[in-house]
Amino acid sequence: MAEPGLAVTVTARTPSAAVVTDKAVTLLAWVLGLAAVALPMGILAFLAAHGARVLSWEFLTAGPAGFPLGAAGGIGPAILGTLALVGGGLLVALPLGIGGGIFLNEYAARSRWVPLVRFTAECLAGIPAVIYGLFGYSLLVVFFALKISLLAGAVTLGLVMFPIILIGTHESLLAVEWEYREAALALGVSRSYAIRRILLPKAWPGIAAVVVLAAGHAAGSAAPVMVTASTVLTRTGVTLDAPVMTLPTHLYHLIAEAVSFEHAYGTALVLVVGMLCGNALALPLRRRRH
Amino acid sequence: MSYASANTFFTPLHAAWRRRQWGELSLWTTTFATVVVGASTLFFIVGFIVAEAAPAVHDLSNLWGLLVAQPWEPFADPPRYGILHAWVSTLLVTVIALALAVPAALGVAVFAAEIAPAAVRNFLQPCLELLAGIPSVVYGFFGYVTLVPWFEARFGMATGESILVAALILAVMVLPFVASTAAEALRSVPGALREAAYALGVTRWHVISRVVMRRALPGIFSAVALGLARAIGEALAVLILAGNSTAVPESVLDRGQPITALILTELGEAGVGSEKYHALFAAGAMLMAVTVLINLLIWSLKRRLVRQHG
Repeated sequence: MAEPGLAVTVTARTPSAAVVTDKAVTLLAWVLGLAAVALPMGILAFLAAHGARVLSWEFLTAGPAGFPLGAAGGIGPAILGTLALVGGGLLVALPLGIGGGIFLNEYAARSRWVPLVRFTAECLAGIPAVIYGLFGYSLLVVFFALKISLLAGAVTLGLVMFPIILIGTHESLLAVEWEYREAALALGVSRSYAIRRILLPKAWPGIAAVVVLAAGHAAGSAAPVMVTASTVLTRTGVTLDAPVMTLPTHLYHLIAEAVSFEHAYGTALVLVVGMLCGNALALPLRRRRH
Repeated sequence: MSYASANTFFTPLHAAWRRRQWGELSLWTTTFATVVVGASTLFFIVGFIVAEAAPAVHDLSNLWGLLVAQPWEPFADPPRYGILHAWVSTLLVTVIALALAVPAALGVAVFAAEIAPAAVRNFLQPCLELLAGIPSVVYGFFGYVTLVPWFEARFGMATGESILVAALILAVMVLPFVASTAAEALRSVPGALREAAYALGVTRWHVISRVVMRRALPGIFSAVALGLARAIGEALAVLILAGNSTAVPESVLDRGQPITALILTELGEAGVGSEKYHALFAAGAMLMAVTVLINLLIWSLKRRLVRQHG
């Protein structure tokens, strides 16, 4: 341009230490950020590369077979068992969590009990899943004599999911503007009508997203079901009073007893892909929320 | 204001009763019932675990034996149930995992909140969620087929399962939780602060480290606390990777058995009401107490944040 000399003096100046640090940190942050992208992709690709071979219709539907058990056959009962456990758990967690969330925000908003219930729920959402296993085993399996069964496991998983859904419902309702409630009351409709027709439809995407999150978390967690519901093999199908196979515990069995790594890869792949599909279902809901 | 200023949560019930609004009455009653049932269940779980743990710690010498003095020897005569090896393993695994995960997670958080272009950030977010969503047992399996053989070859170990391997995988598991919570804290720092700092002509890193991170410090602390709670309670991955040995680990390449792994391994074979059974509940209660304390910390940090931002 008109003053080439100026450009020369600017570029020739050695950058200050602060600028060098800034560049270095930016570079480091990019490396870390890209690593955080590469890591899950890498794990997924690794499982897919090793597990895709065993995937077949038979693997997804047949029961485990062979010797040692699980070396042949498939994981059909484990998929069914996981779905039954999570479904049963949701029967416990959904009414309690959503009903509780509605009461906390719509009827008790100013009560001094709300922070206490919220704090307890947050603690219980944060305590290790294995504690729920201890509780479920001691109270449901032993004391209520439910034995190791689908029922005991479903209630235990329901308790795992309940605080998460309660907190999510409460937060989603909190995020709905107060003006809607005031407008509804000004029109003379009852609170229950406002909740059913205005507030819940508004909060629904957020609630659904948190339910999917909780269900995915429950489906993948083996610790609470290992001691309350799961077994290595079922032949009778899924009934409430019998133990079930589940994907996470089946995977653990395949590894711990060194049964078949090929099938372990397949099971892990099915578990992760199932989780991804669940999250993909929740994606449009979340987009609506924002 | 008028809507929310009801004196107690019984006020809407009285109003509905006076006006004979049955729909209103039934919704109030059912949701009230769910809160009562749900909240009392939560309290009951805590009380139940503590009650089942109590027989194992009925006096001080007993507590000392459980926590420190005795080894875990269920088949000795008389059997001895000490959980020293378990909490030392949990402590080692957790500390190493956090030492690895927290700096990396903060880097990722700074990247996601301050540095990444929108397109990259929108891609990074679901990746972190995927990382957080992969089940514990899959992480355990992944570590078992990748890190364990590598450690066996590299360090000439008889079995690669060890405290260090478990901690490495655990670091990957807690990273997304710490990163996304910390990124959220960074993002909630008001933009005006950033603009004022940039206007002084300092570098981006200067703004991030001296202004943004300082303001977000309580949020960053709670992110780390959340990661700590996650790491302490992690069960399946450490069950598979830590080696499940009842000896007290003396180095990070030793095998160990964190508390969660101890509970899962032994609960099925513990006679109900036996000494072992209560010892396992005591171990669980300890774990629960620590996570509740961590939540208390997060709660108070959050309150401070709310007060700070009005």
